[in-house]
This record gives sequence, structure tokens and C-alpha cells, in this order.
Amino acid sequence: MEYSTHISLPVLTALFALLAPLCSFCISAIGGKSVKSGLPATVMIVGSLLAAIFLFAKVWDGDVVHQQVSWFRIGETEFKAGIILNNLSVLMLLLVCVIALPVHIYSISYMRGDKGIHRYWMYLSLFCFAMLGLVLVDNLLLMYIGWELVGFASYLLIGFWFTKEAAIRANKKAFLVNRIGDLGFLIGIAIVYSQFHTLDLLTLFGDNGIVKQAVNDGITWSFSGREMPAAWLSIAGIAFFLGAMAKSAQFPFHIWLPDAMEGPTSVSSLIHAATMVAAGVFMLVRISPLFDDIVLMAISAVGAFTAFMSATIALTQRDIKKILAFSTISQLGFMMVAIGIGQYGAAIFHLVTHAFFKCLLFLSAGAIIHEMHHLKEVSRLDFNTQDINNMGGLRKFMPKTFCLTLIAALALAGLPLSAGYLSKDAILIYAFEWAEMHQGIWMIIPLSLLLTSALTAFYIARFVFKIFFGVFQLKTTFNKNLHLHEAPKWMLYPMFFLGICSLFPLFSYNPFLFEDVWLLKGFEITESLQRVNIYHTIVPAAVNSISIVVIFLAWRWYARFKYPTALSSGLLYKFSVSQWYLDLAYSRLIVKPTQLISRFLYGVDRQLVDGTVDKLGRIIVGFSGVAAWLDRYLVDGLVNGLGKCSFAVGDFLRGSSKGKVQHYMFSMFLIFLIVLLLGLKFF
Amino acid sequence: MNWLSILIFLPLLAAILVLILPASLRVAYKYFALGACIIQLVIAAYLYGQFNGALAGVSTIDTYQYVEKLPWIRLNLGSLGLLEVDYFVGVDGFSVLFLFLTALVMLIAVIASWNIDKQLKGFFALLMLLNTAIMGVFVALDFFLFYVFYEVMLLPLYFLIGIWGGARREYAAIKFFLYTLLGSVFMLLVMVGLYFSVTDPSTGHHTFNMLHMMNPANFSEGSIFSPFVNYELFGVSARLLGFIILFIAFAIKVPIVPLHTWLPDAHVEAPTPVSIILAGILLKVGGYGILRICFSIFPDIAWSSAWWLGLIGVISILYGALNALAQQDLKRLVAYSSVSHMGFVLLGVASLTPEGLSGAIFQMISHGFLSAMLFFLVGMLYDRVHDRMIYNFRGLASLMPTYTAFVAIGFFASLGLPGFSAFIAEAFTIIGAFNAESVNGLIPRWMAIGGSVGILLSAAYFLWTLQRMFFGNTRLKGGEEWQRLLYDVNRREAIALVPMVGLALILGIMPSLAFDKINASVLSLINLVNTYHQ
Repeated sequence: MEYSTHISLPVLTALFALLAPLCSFCISAIGGKSVKSGLPATVMIVGSLLAAIFLFAKVWDGDVVHQQVSWFRIGETEFKAGIILNNLSVLMLLLVCVIALPVHIYSISYMRGDKGIHRYWMYLSLFCFAMLGLVLVDNLLLMYIGWELVGFASYLLIGFWFTKEAAIRANKKAFLVNRIGDLGFLIGIAIVYSQFHTLDLLTLFGDNGIVKQAVNDGITWSFSGREMPAAWLSIAGIAFFLGAMAKSAQFPFHIWLPDAMEGPTSVSSLIHAATMVAAGVFMLVRISPLFDDIVLMAISAVGAFTAFMSATIALTQRDIKKILAFSTISQLGFMMVAIGIGQYGAAIFHLVTHAFFKCLLFLSAGAIIHEMHHLKEVSRLDFNTQDINNMGGLRKFMPKTFCLTLIAALALAGLPLSAGYLSKDAILIYAFEWAEMHQGIWMIIPLSLLLTSALTAFYIARFVFKIFFGVFQLKTTFNKNLHLHEAPKWMLYPMFFLGICSLFPLFSYNPFLFEDVWLLKGFEITESLQRVNIYHTIVPAAVNSISIVVIFLAWRWYARFKYPTALSSGLLYKFSVSQWYLDLAYSRLIVKPTQLISRFLYGVDRQLVDGTVDKLGRIIVGFSGVAAWLDRYLVDGLVNGLGKCSFAVGDFLRGSSKGKVQHYMFSMFLIFLIVLLLGLKFF
Repeated sequence: MNWLSILIFLPLLAAILVLILPASLRVAYKYFALGACIIQLVIAAYLYGQFNGALAGVSTIDTYQYVEKLPWIRLNLGSLGLLEVDYFVGVDGFSVLFLFLTALVMLIAVIASWNIDKQLKGFFALLMLLNTAIMGVFVALDFFLFYVFYEVMLLPLYFLIGIWGGARREYAAIKFFLYTLLGSVFMLLVMVGLYFSVTDPSTGHHTFNMLHMMNPANFSEGSIFSPFVNYELFGVSARLLGFIILFIAFAIKVPIVPLHTWLPDAHVEAPTPVSIILAGILLKVGGYGILRICFSIFPDIAWSSAWWLGLIGVISILYGALNALAQQDLKRLVAYSSVSHMGFVLLGVASLTPEGLSGAIFQMISHGFLSAMLFFLVGMLYDRVHDRMIYNFRGLASLMPTYTAFVAIGFFASLGLPGFSAFIAEAFTIIGAFNAESVNGLIPRWMAIGGSVGILLSAAYFLWTLQRMFFGNTRLKGGEEWQRLLYDVNRREAIALVPMVGLALILGIMPSLAFDKINASVLSLINLVNTYHQ
């Protein structure tokens, strides 16, 4: 280990990118309420972005840059802190900055006039710092720190409007669910540390990483003299996956994400759509050599199920943000499947494209909510600003927002010319090829993805048609001439930028073939997959024709109002609307029992544990009472009795010496008589 | 005079001054106490800075630092030989951090007692006496001296709780006193047993020197605690019995489940400064005693009973956390969270791995700052409205934003948010406990996993409290009047809080500040245990 004071330029730049948001956080934290402007935060993120662009240009497809310093030492083990710059980290660094900057700019307009604005910038900067840290660091412990800090920033931002009851319940839920995942991460770290005695990412998972050198013969998992039962390898993978499941909102831990929508919409776009929730995917890619087949199978199964389940829920939600939240969960499921089938490049590619179009969708939703809110204030009417049933026909009021939403929606549905088309097809095609290899039941995974794609096209079409087509519902409800305005231009500019990024040219010159995407070439391509050419033609064609059919159906139902009302009373509809009753199940099966157990244990503590102590105390007091009684009446009584006895004797005897001569004479005579009698008897 | 002696007797001097001064100078008492604590803190910081982390200490006197040894009691017992008790103090990696912790927590406690107006003379004199005793416990290397300081600690605490406490103060004080006395009375027996088992190699007399007790060669042949003959008492190995008795004595202080029930009562009834001292330092005396005495003098038994200690640790973690979840009194909640967090200490210690032991010591230090901070915060609320039931408050964040920020920092730091000290402590305790099965096979891996659930539960009760008391729309039981009384953090309080936040943060970011000082001692203790075992 060279402790050189020389820090190379890329590392220096990375440090700058990392610390810039921290500086802005400190400015806000120290300045308190006086720092209301978003300028420091925005300037700093511009700095980070420039640094990220520089690093990307320098490191992408180049040499890996890695530098570390000693952090602390426990016993004989040294823990180091360092920065690693390889394709994955510079790409993520760039992505986070590229998304964060538009969101910052958007926020200046969107959050203007909020009472807690100083806290907003503080939390946002903290988030950026933590997220960049998570991406850049070179060991698992530091990564865990970034991992928890992003969760903490997310907690703060979800509960930003802390007087809102729903918001503070949501942020508690988010943090606790994420905590479960964190435990998984921590246990994973403990297993890896126990086996390999290092947490260094490059040493563990690098090209010649020691994880690959460890031998697993099915009974023991051994590396350089240390061994564990083989099951622990799978447990380690599952433990890390548990962390990813919570952070990336995979079933059964997805429940926090829809609630997290209580935060400001700009936050939802950055944290709960584009970056933080993708951290789980990123982490799994980082540590991918650790996974054995069991874990990979589990990842793809969970991913596919999550994708399907949340797509079915998104079909019926009425809250504009909740639809997008479930859509995010569903798309994260796609990325998980990509990881499960070993296509890490495809997972990251979808992560990137999803970040752009989902962020754009949220910002559009934010623009709509912003204007609806404005309308609510101006008209003094009471209505829900996020309910899509209150919208409709908005394309006439907000044409630019409409166009941008449309682009993002097409990308989400995976239609040609969009970036989403490329990434989603990549995952679908690889999934089919993978299933071809595994045969049998595993075919269900690509097929379910195909079904999910259709559902996706449907719910996003419903989203667009219900909001932008038809007539403005509030007008009919209140019977007033209400109208909305286009969003302020500083909210639109960032959206334009994201709209451009959601199209194909950023990723490939060829809009139809994902094989030409430069990004995918930056990652190792798993060779083991056999290329089944037919899928490369059939899958895109099938996906797109199905999508077009369901979009047409949605158009008839929601834009033309040919909706079959019988559907809304069906069981399936209720199941979907109530989000598969999972919240209810958790409340009944986990939350309530835990509360009961804790109350019961407190009763035990008071009555049994402390009760025993108190009873012991009382018994001792009782004993001492008995002892005191014995002492008083028996021991002391004996002493007193003796005393009384001698007193009585004395008293009696005293009576005999009262100074009366006749008595003395009588006594003397008596004694003399007795002596005489005794004397006569003896002699 | 040696630095350590100044550290010990400076507060005693302050106590005497307070006692001598007439009551007309009542207002000056707290300044004497404050002055003594500040000087102590400076000295403790200096000693920390000068401490050489490469020297291990533990069982070798040469590697102890700031050592002072003076003959104290010499009593000819005829056929039993010469009774020798020394004033023998010194510091190694296990104790150096506690000196600083004690000095700091004491200072905070003095600041927290600024508004006390009942019998000032007695209060500050007792506080300073307590200070002397605690400092003494952490540096004493002679068992007899240790025992004297250990017992002297009890007396001021009894009166501090019993006189200045809340409604049920007498009950709590007696309970606390009897509980701890019970432990220490039996400790006396073991101490005497050890005395007659060990001889000082240089003089040939029996000795109370703890370091001699750590060397098996010093045990006389056939003596009761000799590691070479298995002497049995009541059908149990004498060494095991001695270990258990000492362990229980210290475990009451830690406290472990089920010997913990004095703690919630004592905390709830104690005045704020005493709660701060109780949680901040007193509990650590238990952990310190386990390391310094139980493990170092009986390493063989430590090895063979590690499984049970780990189990007790895990039970304490989970049981304490679940109980905290059921609390409605904020102070009681923090008290139960202490039980849970101190469980990590036991788990880490039981693992006998470098990571686990370091994590445990780090946890004691970290919990020292953080629990002191939490009790200080609870005390602030109680000072204002004389109420601390969680359900009587809501939406305090709108009313007291700075206070809420401190509470949030305190809670998140305690629940192990990275960047704060508790994170490093808990993470390495878990990692160490997990590692034990691979390294020495002492505790199974499921214990580490079980312990980690405690981290989840601690998040649950802290976040629930935050949500319930601080967020939402302001609604108070006391209505308008409380609104008026609940002013935000004032300068004195900020001065006390900021250093604790700062330290928790600094230790969380640069754990080497602590690890560098304790590494050698930790390795040396593990080495001691391993040599005994082989």
C-alpha cells in the first residue's frame, strides 16, 4: 500500500464531485433559515456534473483508477477508504449528476415560497453527497454508509412536510423497511468479511477477485484456509439481495415506495424514481461475482413477480404519483430480472434509460400538480390535486408538458425510437435466450415479462389519456369555467432536456437494435448465452404489436369514454386498487403482533421480573418483621422477663427491710428456730 | 503527584471546598464543580493525547502508563502474613478512553444541574465525591483499591437519587442501592479468595495486585482459585463460581436482562444530571469491570462461558428493544434502549475477536456520549413542563425546531446512522460476533444475526417517538400554557449538546481516534485468553 501524498487527477476530481454537495449541505446546515436560495446547492451540483463529465470522458473504457488511504485499524486488520473509478462508477456518477441538475433547477421554481425551503436544499444536497459516495467508494463498509445515508436523506425528504400526518407515517415506514434491507446488507458484509477478511471491492470482486477463487464443493465454501458450510455462500447472496430488495422496492418490501410519494414531487423524481431506488440494482451489479445459481434464480423470480404485481396495481390507481410509483417498482423488477439472468450490462442500461424517462414523467406530474394546486388556491375550491379523475383534456392547457409526457410514456411502454425500447428489448430478448437454456418452468419468467410489458403499455396509456385527453373533469364537477396554465419555463427547460435524453440517439445510432448501444459494450457480455436469432426479431415485433393493441384499447376506454363500467366492481379490480391487500397483511401479521409482543414483554418485565424482585424485597421485609416481633417479644421478652423476675424478687425482699425492729426480731427468731430444728435433726 | 491522582482527587478537593464554604456563597458551588470538571477534562484530554497506543497493558505492568504505586495499608496478621494494600493506579487501552468519557459526562452533568435549587451544598459535594469514585474505579489496579472506589460510588448515588429525585425517589434509591450492593458483597468474597490464592512473586506475600492475579504462575499451589487444580465448591469449580459472582456483580451494573429492573426506576426517578451519569458512565463501569476483572483474571472461564455471555447479550438486546417499544414515558424508553444498546457490549465481548471486543469498547464510549445526550434532552423537556409522557406531546417540531433537530440527531445517532459513532460500534460488534464461529468457534453465527435485529427494533422505537411527539400538528396536553413554557434550546443547553454531537460525529467518521488507543490492549487480552486456553 503506497501512502503517497500524491493524489491522481481523476481521484481529485472525483473527490471534488463528491464533496461539492457536502459543502452545500454544510452551508445550509450552518446557515439555517437564512439560506433560502437554492443557488449554493445548484452551483455545487453543476460543479459535480462538470467533474463527472470530465471523469466519464477520461475513464470510460479506459483503465480503472483506484486509490485508497488507511482509515482505521482494528486489531491487525486495516480498513481503508478509497475511490474506485471504473466504467460502472463513472457511468453512475454521470447519471446521478445529469439527473440531479435538472431536478435542482426545476426545484427552484417548484418549491418557491415553501416555508421550509432551507431544509429542502439541505436535505437534497445531503442526498446527492450520499448517492455519489455510494457510487464512488471502493469498499463494502463505505458503500453501506452511503447506502444508509441515502435512506436517511430519503427519510428526511419524504417527511419534508412534517405536519402532514401521512407524510410522517410514510417516512417512518420507508426507513423501517429499508432498515430490514440494511440488516441484510450488514449480514452480507459480515459473511464476506468472515470468509475473505477484507471488504475491498476490487480485491473481492475485481477481474481476478478472490471471491472467484474461493472453492465451493457443495459442502464447504473455502478460501485460503477459512471455510464455512456451502450454504453460507447462498445466504450471503440472499442477504445482499435482501438489501437490494428493500432499497429497490422489490416484493415483499416494495410497500414503502408508494407511500414515499408524500414527499415533494421533485424529490420523488430524483430519489424515488431515478437514482436512489436504483441503488439496489447498482449494488448487485457491483458484487455480482458473489452470486451462485440459487441466488440468481431467486433474483430473477422476485424481479419478474414484482414487475408483474406492481404493473397490475398501477392499472387501477387514481393518484397520479402512485401510478408512477408502481410503474417504478415494476421497472425495477425488469432490472432485477436482468441481473438474475446474468445480464448486468442490460440491467444498468435499463437503469439509465429508466432514470431519464421516469424522472421526466415525475417532473411532468409535478408540473400538473403545481398547476392544479395553483388553480385550487385561485378558485378556492376543494379538490384533490393529484387525482387523475379530476383531470382530463390537459393537453390544451399544457401542450408542452403533454408532448414531453408523451415522449416519456412511449419510452416507458418501450415503443420504437425511444431509449426505453432499446433497453427493454435487451432485457426481454436476453430473458428468452436464458430461458431457452434453462428450459421448463423458467420459461415463465420471459413470458411474464412479456405480459408485464403489455400491462405497462396499458397503464401508461391510461395515464396519458385520462390526464391529457377528453374534457377537463373539474369543469363538469364544479360547473365553472376553470382552466390551467402551462408550467413556468424554468420547470419546462429541465423537462426538455430529459425528454431529449429519453430518445434513442443518446444511446445508439440505430433506433431498432440494442446490440449497437455503446453503453452495453462498456460492460462484460456474458458469453455463455447462445444467441437465438429468432428472438431478436420476434420479441420486438410481438412486444410492439401487443403494445399498440392495448394502447388502442386504452384510448377507446379512457379518451373515448367507452369504459366497461362492469369492470370496476369486479374482484380483480378491488384486488388491484387495494394493492393486493399487502399493507393490511403487514399490519395484521407483523406490526400488530410486534406491538403485542412488546406490550406483553413489558408486562412480563413489570410483573414477573421486577415483580419477583419486589416480592423478594417484600418477603425479606416480612421476615424482618417476624424477626423484629421475635426480637421484641421473645428475645427481648426473655431479657425483660428475667429483669422483671429479679425486680419482683428484689421487691419482695425489699419489703423485708423496712426498718421495723419487730420484723427483724421476728425474722431472727424464725431463722434461729429453723437452725435449731435442723441442728436437732442432724445431731 | 501523578496526573491520575490529580484526576481522582481534584473533585474531592472541590467537594471539600463546597462543604467548607458558608451557605451565603451558595451560588458559587456550581462554579467550583464546573471548574473542577473543566480542569479534569483538560487533563483527561492531555492524557489521551499523550497515551501511547502501542503499549498494551492488560496483564503486564511495564506497558501500563501513568503508573503510580504507593504503599497504603500494611497490617501484620500474624500467621496469615502481612496484609498489603497499595495505592496502585495506571492506565492502559481499556481505561484511557473512559477517563475522557467520565470527565466529559461529568462536565455535562454539572451543566445539567445548573438550575437545581434544593440543598446545593449537599448536591454538589456528593456529585464531586461521585466523580472521584468513578475516576478511581477506572484507574485502580489494586483490587482492594478498586473495591473501595466501587463502593464509594454507591453512597453519593443513593443520596442523589433519594433526595433530589422524583416522586418515588426513595423506592428507586433503595432498589438501586440494594441491587448493586448485592453484587458487590459477593464480590468481596471472591476478592478475599483471590487474595489468599495469589502471592506477589517479588515479596512472597499475598497481594491484591490485579496484574498478579492475571498471571497463573502467581497462584499458590492448591489455593482455591488456582487454575491448575480444580478446586470445587458446592460441586462447582471454584474458578467458575468466582467468575460467575464477579460477572453478576458487574452485570447488574451493565445491566443485563433479567438483572436490569433497577435501571428504569432509577432513571425515571433520578434528577437529570444523575440520569446522565448513570447512563453515561455507571453502566460502563460494569462493562469495564467485565473486561478488566472477569476476563483478565479468569480468562479460562471467559472462554468456556462465552456462549452464555453471548446469549445474555442477544437476549438483552432484543428484550430491551422490545420493552422500549412499549414505553409511553420518554425517559423510560431511553432507559430501556440503554439496556438494549449495552447488550451489544456483552455480545461483542463474548465473541473474543478483535472486531467484537473493539466494537464493544467503542459501543461503551459511543453510548456514553449518546445516552448522556438523550437524557439531557429528556431533562430539558421535563424542566420546561414537568411532563415527559410521549402521548402528551405532538408536533413539537413547529414549536421547538432546534430542540427537535438535536433530538433527531440524538435518535438517529443512537439507532446507528452511519457517520455517528454508534454505527461503527454496532457494525463491528455484529461483524465480530459473526466472525467468532470462523475464528474461535465461541459463539454461533445466529447470535450475530439475532443481535442485528436489535438494530431494526431500535429504529422502530426511535422513529415512532419522533413521529408521535415531534411531527404532525402541534397539540399539547397543557395547551396554551405549555406553548408558552416550551421555549427552544437556550445557550447553556446548546453548549452542553454541541460537544456531544460533535464527538459522536468525529468518532463516527474517524474511529481510529479510539481504535488506535485500544488495539494493542484488545489483542493482548485475546492473546491472554488464548494462552490460557491452550
